[in-house]
Amino acid sequence: MSNRQIVKNARLGESYTKIEHTSGLTLLLYPLEGYSSAYALFGTDFGSINSTFKTAPDAPFSTVPAGIAHFLEHKMFEKEDGDAFAKYAKTGASANAFTSFDKTCYLFSCSQNFEASLEILLDLVTRPYFTQESVEKEQGIIGQEIRMYDDSPDWRVLFNMLESLYKNHPVKIDIAGTVESIAEITADTLYSCYNTFYNLRNMVLAIAGNFDIDTVLRCCDKILKPAPDFQVENAPVDEPRDILEKRHVQKLDVATPLFSIGFKEEPDDAAHFMRGDLLSEIILDAVAGESSKTYRELYDAGLINQTFGTEVFSGDGYLTSIFAGESEDPDEVYKRLCAAIAAMKETGLPKEDFERSKRCVYGRYVRAFESVEVLCSAMITAHFGGCGIYDIVEMIADMTYEEAAARFAQMLCEEYGTISIVNTTGE
Amino acid sequence: MDQTLNRTKLLDQVYFNAIRDEKFKSNRISIHLLTTLSEDTAAQNAVVPAILRKGYAGCPDFTELNRKLARLYGAMLDADVRKIGDYQIINLSIQSLDDRFTMENEAVVKECCELLCGLLLDPKTVDGAFDPTDVELEKKYLIASIQAEINEKRSYAINRCLEIMCAGSPAGIGRYGSEAKAQEITPQSAFAAYERLIRSSQIEIIFCGSGDPAPAKELFQTAFAKVERAPQALPEMEMLPASEKVKRETDELDVTQAKMVLGFTADVGRDRAALAAARMMVAVYGGTPFSRLFLNVREKLSLCYYCAARFDRAKGTMMVDCGIEDQNRQKAYDEILRQLDVMKEGGFTDEEFDAAKLSMQNSFENIGDSLAGLESWYLGQIITGEYRSPKEETEQILAVSREAVVAAAQKVRLDTVYYLTGKGGSDHE
Repeated sequence: MSNRQIVKNARLGESYTKIEHTSGLTLLLYPLEGYSSAYALFGTDFGSINSTFKTAPDAPFSTVPAGIAHFLEHKMFEKEDGDAFAKYAKTGASANAFTSFDKTCYLFSCSQNFEASLEILLDLVTRPYFTQESVEKEQGIIGQEIRMYDDSPDWRVLFNMLESLYKNHPVKIDIAGTVESIAEITADTLYSCYNTFYNLRNMVLAIAGNFDIDTVLRCCDKILKPAPDFQVENAPVDEPRDILEKRHVQKLDVATPLFSIGFKEEPDDAAHFMRGDLLSEIILDAVAGESSKTYRELYDAGLINQTFGTEVFSGDGYLTSIFAGESEDPDEVYKRLCAAIAAMKETGLPKEDFERSKRCVYGRYVRAFESVEVLCSAMITAHFGGCGIYDIVEMIADMTYEEAAARFAQMLCEEYGTISIVNTTGE
Repeated sequence: MDQTLNRTKLLDQVYFNAIRDEKFKSNRISIHLLTTLSEDTAAQNAVVPAILRKGYAGCPDFTELNRKLARLYGAMLDADVRKIGDYQIINLSIQSLDDRFTMENEAVVKECCELLCGLLLDPKTVDGAFDPTDVELEKKYLIASIQAEINEKRSYAINRCLEIMCAGSPAGIGRYGSEAKAQEITPQSAFAAYERLIRSSQIEIIFCGSGDPAPAKELFQTAFAKVERAPQALPEMEMLPASEKVKRETDELDVTQAKMVLGFTADVGRDRAALAAARMMVAVYGGTPFSRLFLNVREKLSLCYYCAARFDRAKGTMMVDCGIEDQNRQKAYDEILRQLDVMKEGGFTDEEFDAAKLSMQNSFENIGDSLAGLESWYLGQIITGEYRSPKEETEQILAVSREAVVAAAQKVRLDTVYYLTGKGGSDHE
């Protein structure tokens, strides 16, 4: 019997159902009234950073080619009986998949034929079929995808920053790998990664919108087989706090130079991961969000434009505070930002700024509950972060100034900061 | 909720449009000023929303304004310029939580509406013009935005192709206008552009969300009653005619992946059934991951990561674009046209046809699940003088026959071939 739990939240007046299915898969089911579409997101806790691991406690660690999680995602769509897109074509669902640093997700959205579409999704993720021939064909397509990103200033400015900050952590390597690394991928290496990480106990299925729970259970009972124990261990990364480079510049055709300023932070342990992330989100908004003094100064000086923003970039073993945008003079932005942070460190995080940023972040997360896509994605993030979706809203609502101030004092240290720039001179 | 449009005339050429659906947790209120794109005014108009976004007489300080927004649960205030066919659309929008979901039961919707009204109708001025400091800065950013279009190579290539295709017509002008015209912006000229927009453009206010639109309507009605208007009716948009000769142009930039864009005229009028058939044709040809272009140019020949076709209803055009290795240029070009011939000969299967239909039905039915989706759907409807819901359009699509799709494909003519390549690239066809 599957273990079923109804999770409620008084603040929103809503609930969802969490089921531990007999197969080992966790289901997070959020039916919503009035929606035409249902959105399903099937995630596995396997992304580009999971490149060195062992499958038994006494086995040695082995390393797989960079970009394999993403490659695997592409190849999962191909089956002996045809391409999964061709099957979705018969239901009308719009389907896709993506790979990030720490997870791979398969999704569809549909307004009809939900059950048939869900069967396709479950089948797609649980039945691998790789041949050497199809692997070779995919190397051509992904090769073009990598080349497309080589020309993308946004992408390059981010990865150059990560390369400056991280010495050993695989987060510094492009999610899709390189043309060289994907050339090493074979059908066998794909099977080995699949069998390791696509274990239902390492996965979660989130669905929101127009569907009913019994349909989901019927499909799961029909298609999913009980998974073996999951005992994968990702190799711990020995990542020192200090960084490699203070400044990195790449030359590309851009109108206004792009920059990404990153401060390497001490990552939170698994138990505090979510709360730590949310606190950082509030703090970065208070430091340089649109309503901050810093933002105003930089904007009025003509140093930043509306593309400027902050981001908490985090995952297993890495945490970076990012300030990114476009500027004619990125170095001056960096200098002034560091000066503003130093001044704030003297006086402490202003309480009023914290309160305002907290409301701002609260609004952002509550709005997530009206979009089936954002909701599913937040449910999965929360789940892999060790909590539930409502916990996020509640955590924000009761965040205190004191904890934010204490965290701020430890963050944004100039010595762990770097700037990455993309401009037309490369200087 | 049926999500139909409730449209009221507030003044001559000023309308309040409401779409209400209680399932949402927030409201999105937007004001759109519609005008015909012209080389002389496009850049002057484009700077206006950015200046308005900086503050108004009731809250002149930019940071104070942003703090207000943050306290309104991070209300998102956006000022932007859109382009649909021949029209330039200047817009201001605000989106935030509905009052029901605030922490202390605050009147967020009312405050958001007041703010939007203030920003649009009560700008801060210095000596009868916009604040020179704001203008200087926003002018600089506008120029940077025009220049920045080159950063995104895929959209840059599509825009270049469109520019070549529609040269001489309003649709050939970029949404921000030209850099040269942007250089001419002064506090006086930008304020004159603002006054012209307020006085003569067609104004569409769209309220979309879970809250009650009635108080908002009243607020806008009162505010607009004080505005002096001399509206000019927008000229009807014309479809792009088929051209005699195929235009070909190549640009060289510092890129590793080449981009090819093929622009076609679809020779489709305003007839609903013909439009639906053209949409279906484009979907079968290159609109989905199981379309002819995706399956052949990408999957079968492995030439690219993307190869897609899209239809522009406003001008009756179809664009096909792909990112390729320079050496595969001819191969991709031939295959794209060969697949179009297949469409013209009716060589697609019933399965492909049904799949495209289901996929379109699905995307139309999804529109009603997002506020931004609903807003842009109805704006598109308003512009073409139709006020149909996504549901009505779905029915139209479901009625399209195979024969109609073949007929639509046969009307398609290649108009422009645009190629963007790395420096020192090839120049064959």
